[in-house]
Amino acid sequence: MDARREEGPASVIETPAQYGLDDPASLSEASDPLVRLEKIEKRWCRNQPPVLDCVSLEVPARSVMAVAGRNGAGKTTLLRIIGGLLVPDHGSVTVCGLVPGRQRGQVNRRIGFLLAGNGGLYARLNVEHHLDLWARLALMPRAERREAIIETSATFALAELRGIRVDRLSMGQRQRLRLAMTFLHRPDLVLLDEPYTSLDADALAMLRAAVRLLRNRGGSAIICSPEPEQAKLAHDKVFLLEHGALVTAQ
Amino acid sequence: MNQMIRYASAAAALCKRDFLMFTGYKLRLLSTLLTTAVSLTLFYYISRLVNSSRIGSPDRYYGYVVVGIVILAVLSSTLATPVATLRQELLTGTFDRMVLSPFGPLRCVLSLMLFPLLLSMLTSVFTIAFASIVFGLDVRWPVALAAIPVGLLAAISFAPFGLFMAAALIAVKQSRSGAAVVITVLTVVSGVYFPVLLLPGWIRWMSEIQPFTPAVDVLRHLLVGTALRESAALSVVKLVVFPAVLLPIAIWTMNLAISLGARRGTLSEY
Repeated sequence: MDARREEGPASVIETPAQYGLDDPASLSEASDPLVRLEKIEKRWCRNQPPVLDCVSLEVPARSVMAVAGRNGAGKTTLLRIIGGLLVPDHGSVTVCGLVPGRQRGQVNRRIGFLLAGNGGLYARLNVEHHLDLWARLALMPRAERREAIIETSATFALAELRGIRVDRLSMGQRQRLRLAMTFLHRPDLVLLDEPYTSLDADALAMLRAAVRLLRNRGGSAIICSPEPEQAKLAHDKVFLLEHGALVTAQ
Repeated sequence: MNQMIRYASAAAALCKRDFLMFTGYKLRLLSTLLTTAVSLTLFYYISRLVNSSRIGSPDRYYGYVVVGIVILAVLSSTLATPVATLRQELLTGTFDRMVLSPFGPLRCVLSLMLFPLLLSMLTSVFTIAFASIVFGLDVRWPVALAAIPVGLLAAISFAPFGLFMAAALIAVKQSRSGAAVVITVLTVVSGVYFPVLLLPGWIRWMSEIQPFTPAVDVLRHLLVGTALRESAALSVVKLVVFPAVLLPIAIWTMNLAISLGARRGTLSEY
């Protein structure tokens, strides 16, 4: 794998036709990137090298980016900075023109964030309770809420599981629920941190369909995974995070 | 207006979640009520030993303590229970989702107080009814209903303390024991189990600098007719002024704790 360090913000290779976009022309019309990172630096200890060192990135609308890297390379840190869960030491972040952390509410309406691991669920609540809870916390209007829950349940095949408690679901089913909660409020930007955990081939196809739908309505996704090829997801660009730097993987 | 409805819906959703999790364990309500009943029985027999000119008859002391137990439940609902729930959210990784939700972490934490508050109202009604039916507590029923808005006002006045504890939990991950200490100290200095006049002078000032004392005082007056230490109007003003002053500071502290957590990368730690 040939990797080179990015000189400036990374841009997208635009190949809309291969992803089955409804309106490929609009991809080139999207001038403002959904995400703009400029010279981001984050370090955990002063006497250690930064986990992210001068990272710049632009993610336009209707794009899917993959970020690969070894364990501890900083993939989760990068996503958490974009999501506003972390503040960088230096550099600037904008999501849809907004600053995460400072305009948290507005940013949160626009992003869906699947955190790594299998947390974020209440063991004794069932699938329907989870979807209803997160739709309401996403401040969705009542009418839209019902429709979104039905749609997302269909996308991730959760309809038949809706009355089952989370602690009685398999790990793959739980991951589908977590993915459904991520896409539920129809975000513009989806951040997926190791989304393939416990997913079988059918579930991976569901995820691919959800990402395709996101792109079709003008959204983008950033997917972090040690091995992005594993999902057979069509990425516009694959980056490698190595020694704090984001490089393009060819 | 629409925004307010959505906020209310989100807060109600968190309340419903807590209700579902509480009732998910079938015997939990029963055990809660049983614990209250045992406590009331214990204090009834202790009250038989009390014969003091400062309090009056054993029955008067029993009434005194029963209202103390009621207000203690309300205090715990805004101070201890939400902090314990938040700690659980940190452990299960659901707090991150709250931070990432458009409803926002501050409103989520405030909403964590709703179900415990409703539960405390239920146990308060049970407490008064049990003490009245089983032990013949002389409740002033005609004015007892007025205790509900006063109880709610008291809960609002305690809410900033709950937010301070939640902020401490997010910032330093250790505040459950702190909440327990605060509740214990408040129990002593606000006259839950004995009149504050019995306290030595050097500590009595503490009964004046928190909203717990006026809440106990007014509720006790409304429910069992105990004489007020100061006018009811002044006590109610205190219950309004305390949160009016403290709530903005508590909200600022909470936002600061979240910003600090985001800067240090400790929001998800527990």
